[in-house]
Amino acid sequence: MMSIRDTIIAQFQGVAAEQKRKLATLTDDLKLLHSGLDSLSFAIIVARLEELLSYDPFEANESQQFPVTFGDFVRLYENRP
Amino acid sequence: MSPISDGPLSGLGPRLNPLGADPIYFDAGPHRLFGWLHRAADSDLGVVLCNPFGYEAICAHRGIRMFAEALAAIGVPALRFDYAGTGDSGDIACDTNQIETWTADIAAAASALRHSTGVRRVCLLGFRLGALLAVRAACESIDALIVISPIMNGRRYVRELRITQMAASLRSEDAVSSEAASGTVEVAGFSLSAASTATLAGIDLERMGMPLTSEVLVIDRTDLPTARTWSEEASRRGAQVQYQCLPGTVEMFLTAPQFGSVSEEMILATKDWISRLQGACLPIETSPAPEDVSVPVLSLAGNDASPDIIEQPVFFGEDTALFGIVSEPQLNERARRGVILLNAAVDPHFGAGRRYVSLARRWARNGYVVLRMDLAGIGDSATRTNCRNDEVFPPQAMADVRAAANFLSTRYGVQEIVLGGLCSGGYHALRAAVDGLAVRQIFLINPENYFWKQGTTLKDVQLAEAVRNPGIYRERVQSAAAWRRLLSGRVNVWRILDIYAHRGFLALESALRDIARSLHIRLPSDLGSELEELRARGVQVVFVFARGEPGIELLKLLAGSVTSRLSGSCHVHLIDGGDHTFSKRGPWEICESILTDELTKLAQAPQPTSTLRDSGTRLRTLREKSP
Repeated sequence: MMSIRDTIIAQFQGVAAEQKRKLATLTDDLKLLHSGLDSLSFAIIVARLEELLSYDPFEANESQQFPVTFGDFVRLYENRP
Repeated sequence: MSPISDGPLSGLGPRLNPLGADPIYFDAGPHRLFGWLHRAADSDLGVVLCNPFGYEAICAHRGIRMFAEALAAIGVPALRFDYAGTGDSGDIACDTNQIETWTADIAAAASALRHSTGVRRVCLLGFRLGALLAVRAACESIDALIVISPIMNGRRYVRELRITQMAASLRSEDAVSSEAASGTVEVAGFSLSAASTATLAGIDLERMGMPLTSEVLVIDRTDLPTARTWSEEASRRGAQVQYQCLPGTVEMFLTAPQFGSVSEEMILATKDWISRLQGACLPIETSPAPEDVSVPVLSLAGNDASPDIIEQPVFFGEDTALFGIVSEPQLNERARRGVILLNAAVDPHFGAGRRYVSLARRWARNGYVVLRMDLAGIGDSATRTNCRNDEVFPPQAMADVRAAANFLSTRYGVQEIVLGGLCSGGYHALRAAVDGLAVRQIFLINPENYFWKQGTTLKDVQLAEAVRNPGIYRERVQSAAAWRRLLSGRVNVWRILDIYAHRGFLALESALRDIARSLHIRLPSDLGSELEELRARGVQVVFVFARGEPGIELLKLLAGSVTSRLSGSCHVHLIDGGDHTFSKRGPWEICESILTDELTKLAQAPQPTSTLRDSGTRLRTLREKSP
């Protein structure tokens, strides 16, 4: 079974391929702004992760701000209450 | 009054035009809507295509056009249209409940289709949010329904839009909390009012009553199929439902159009289903004579402060049918000044966030004749033979721009032309002016290129990337973690070296070009020399940049010390808080005001302005604005 991190990486890679975008190397300190994906891409990723992980951190916490780095994004899901 | 058509393509009747579809306006309650009527003879069945929301409609513009063309090709007339406040339709108040309004617009479109073609049966074909609206609009007078990648739950959709909005705000320090608190959502320059999001949040198609149509085709997403349960329930209640999962939703609706693609499978499935429906129609003994409800003029009333204007769809061009919308003042404007707005990337002529519509209508009220047009292969223009659709830098763009200028001059008597656009639209304006087109002013909003070699692809390392990216890598040189990744092979070293090499080459080239200019040696592809030549011809150049855009750094690199010598003829404006497309309303309003001021100043006697000086670290600009 894939780890949460690997699941997230797979989604980032999948959306980048669908949208013909060049994905930056996904490291924890990578700013999502510089990932090569746009805001639409992130919305797709969050929707797909909700389907896969049965969890949407933005529905669970309506005041949740969008994570700044890839590491922040992963932790949002790993630290699920 | 038929659409205006000039050149070899003129002389066609009101129901024929080079593109095989008629641009029309029709009434929807108090609003006037724009649409394209794809005619077909002797059909009992017609289809109304219902757009997705916002940027998805931009992404899917060509795809939806292809759906309509495919239906007309099998003998089924199709009407695709812009909801009130979108595309080329009339404006609406910003607090309008768009969900209720757009649902009513669909009903009006169905009525317009019946009256203009004589069809007695109407099928609604809705895409994404358009599918949700189509389900709401389906009533006893709608005979069939097709929903493609439907939004099933409005609350979830609003949440997705808010996530998109939040992610977009990573590029600025603006918080979205105030917008969230007010209930409005603004994504990529498209807004849903608080009333709209409140209505949407209460819509769950699975809990709604089934639509009163007996024939339903559901084409669901393969990655996130959400409509199966609803489809099964519709079947249980007696509807004839065909359910399919087909790929292509992300590529067609959620990918920038220059990188997206149209799902041929979805089009084929739709054609097959409609063909069966059409074949099941009872023979018609007599059909009512179609009424021509299409008066292709949109009158936009002003008020005490601003005059009325009219808009009209036009075709022009010598070898290829080019399309545009002309906005002009009702009263005869003696100066006959004209503005041509050029496509940003492959966004259709109304522009992302409908920015070009806003500019065109404002400037028409100020007395200008404004043409927002599609280059060949983009939006609603035809595509040249052996050329691709949706090319950002089409090889014949200059011919199209000349055709537009010639059209405004001969048809509208325009004597002074201003040319401009966002991103590649600004690029084309610059190239046209340098190429010798007689223009008075050009404006470039966030250009990312000043030169483009045919054969280059958008994925190649562009100058903008070379200017933008080194900042990231400079930070990482100081990062121990970054060095560990480099040494462990987890970094694309060649790409970094490529960017730095490109940057170094640019800096060296800039210095050499400065030397050549000082020696009066005219090098090819020299932006500095080109700007000087434009000044000598009396062409004013206006740059508007969002702070942080790479285009201004490129301007300094490629134009070199010329930027410090330009006086009066080249204005550079920096706006805080904007992004590449000025998607946020505040910065966009500043941009619009700046451009309007520049047009106004152009119309008055020219006055000397401060010389721009390059301090070595930044350009001092005439105006730096914050929202």
